[in-house]
Amino acid sequence: MGKILMKGNEAIGEAAIRAGCLNYFAYPITPQSEVAEYLSKRLPEVDGVFLQAESEVAVAYMIFGASGAGERVFTTSSSPGISLMCEGLSYVACAECPAVYVNIIRGGPGLGGILPSQADYFQATKGGGHGDYRLIVMAPDTVQEAVEMVMRAFPLAEKYRNPVMILGDGLIGQMMEPVEFPDHLKTEPSNKNDWATTGMDTRKSKTKNIVKSLFLDPAELYKKNIILKEKYDIIKEEEVMYDTYNMDVDYKMLIVSYGTMSRVCSTAIDLMKADGFEVGMLRPQTLFPFPEKEIFAAAQKESVKMLASIEMSMGQMVEDVERSVKGTRPVEWYGKAGGEVPTPEEVIEAVTSMYNKECA
Amino acid sequence: MEINLNAIVIICGNYGSGKTEVAINLAISQKKKGLDVAIADLDLVNPYFRTREARNLLRESGINLILPPEKYMHADLPILAPEVSGAIKNPAELTILDVGGDNAGAMVLAALADSFSIGNVKTLQVVNPNRPNTQTIDGCFKMKAQIEAASNMSVTGIIGNANLMEETTTEHIIEGHAFVKEFSEKSGMALEFITVPSFLSEEIDSSDFSCPVLEISRQLVPPWKTAADLKV
Repeated sequence: MGKILMKGNEAIGEAAIRAGCLNYFAYPITPQSEVAEYLSKRLPEVDGVFLQAESEVAVAYMIFGASGAGERVFTTSSSPGISLMCEGLSYVACAECPAVYVNIIRGGPGLGGILPSQADYFQATKGGGHGDYRLIVMAPDTVQEAVEMVMRAFPLAEKYRNPVMILGDGLIGQMMEPVEFPDHLKTEPSNKNDWATTGMDTRKSKTKNIVKSLFLDPAELYKKNIILKEKYDIIKEEEVMYDTYNMDVDYKMLIVSYGTMSRVCSTAIDLMKADGFEVGMLRPQTLFPFPEKEIFAAAQKESVKMLASIEMSMGQMVEDVERSVKGTRPVEWYGKAGGEVPTPEEVIEAVTSMYNKECA
Repeated sequence: MEINLNAIVIICGNYGSGKTEVAINLAISQKKKGLDVAIADLDLVNPYFRTREARNLLRESGINLILPPEKYMHADLPILAPEVSGAIKNPAELTILDVGGDNAGAMVLAALADSFSIGNVKTLQVVNPNRPNTQTIDGCFKMKAQIEAASNMSVTGIIGNANLMEETTTEHIIEGHAFVKEFSEKSGMALEFITVPSFLSEEIDSSDFSCPVLEISRQLVPPWKTAADLKV
């Protein structure tokens, strides 16, 4: 099959099917409702299940149930909908169930608006729900990368028995781009009979698999927390993904930016280059784990005077960038929120003025 | 061959077939020819990339633009401006109605049925064979039937809009033309015109085709791109 033109939301739905996920529970919300619309037509063709739940709270527990039974399952929503799912997300993380969540972020806080935003960075990478849990968070910058990340998310979730979130701003869901789909994933979740409630008969086992997130004995709950932490530490070592732009020159400044915001930045970088001002960019593809070591290393280059975190939020990722450089270089933030997307010209103005202030 | 459309032209088709880009570029091209042009944004289903995003260009070009009230421009609500039925009853030399995608988007037409008198109305289905659901002639017929059922109107003609955005090649245009020509022959609907992206216009000889050609210069671009200035 050659390339076809698809809206991000449609492509995300198709990618999940090609990843072997035939269970989709969701509740509509702009700007991601096209995923449900697409899958409501497409899943019946492949003997899959789409169930439109009565609310996102119900979705969260349908996912827990399906995942606990060893099924590949996913949902998509947008900011307020993800907030409603966060309690269940914490349960799923505690019970160590694999599942995939897609958040096509809209402007917030509150009911907000329907235009693109990245303001759910904290919610995705630092919690959202309660307790010491982490999600693996991936952020695509193109519709093609959204497809690849969705297809990677399922095996990754199963490898670590951990929820994975794809964080896309509204543009990723709404824009159309040519895409090419990889072949269908052939693999089944390999170890599910070891832990999921797949049935005593199927497993031919005498021991029961119990999926739960209630641990009344504090020692037992502490032990659970240690297991989770050890898992997150491995994820931090093994699963960092990032991309670079204009980093093969002696750049004076390093931009850290992700998702479609990074595409505005690369246009700005090209224009600044034409004016003789070299700026590099490191684009985290995973937001958790965050490319801390890579940003630290990129910041140590002698030509680099400072870093800027450029986001469609009011200064969230900048905290991780600051943490990564460990005080070795100044770090500034620039961004807009609420559905406003900075233009390349606005990025150039902000970057130039912070550079002149900090380094001139 | 010249595009020859007047009175009311309804632009419909499946999601993402390119209705809005076609509508905007058609409006500008016909305005340049000296026609009095109006365009109404009837897209009640799509939240982004709508005709309203090109409102400055259209207004500055002297095109009568009919939109929901400014304060509801980004509301997630199906608002139909009351001026629309007036524009249909008293059309400009060319009045373009840009309808939302699929049968869901076409449903708005049924609500306006009373305003369409027996006058000169053409309902045109935009087809991009590089989109899911319209990659086969059967798929195009299915989409036509769904739009007709939802809108309570007949689709009367076809606009060929074969493209892969910036990755469009002359092969896409040639194969796309053959595809919509076949759809036209099998359905008995007129092939009104096909589109060619402006960056390919020098490589394409429009006399090779059985219908007029509309040059498209993309207007609804993401924030990291700049739209070509089409102002009349």
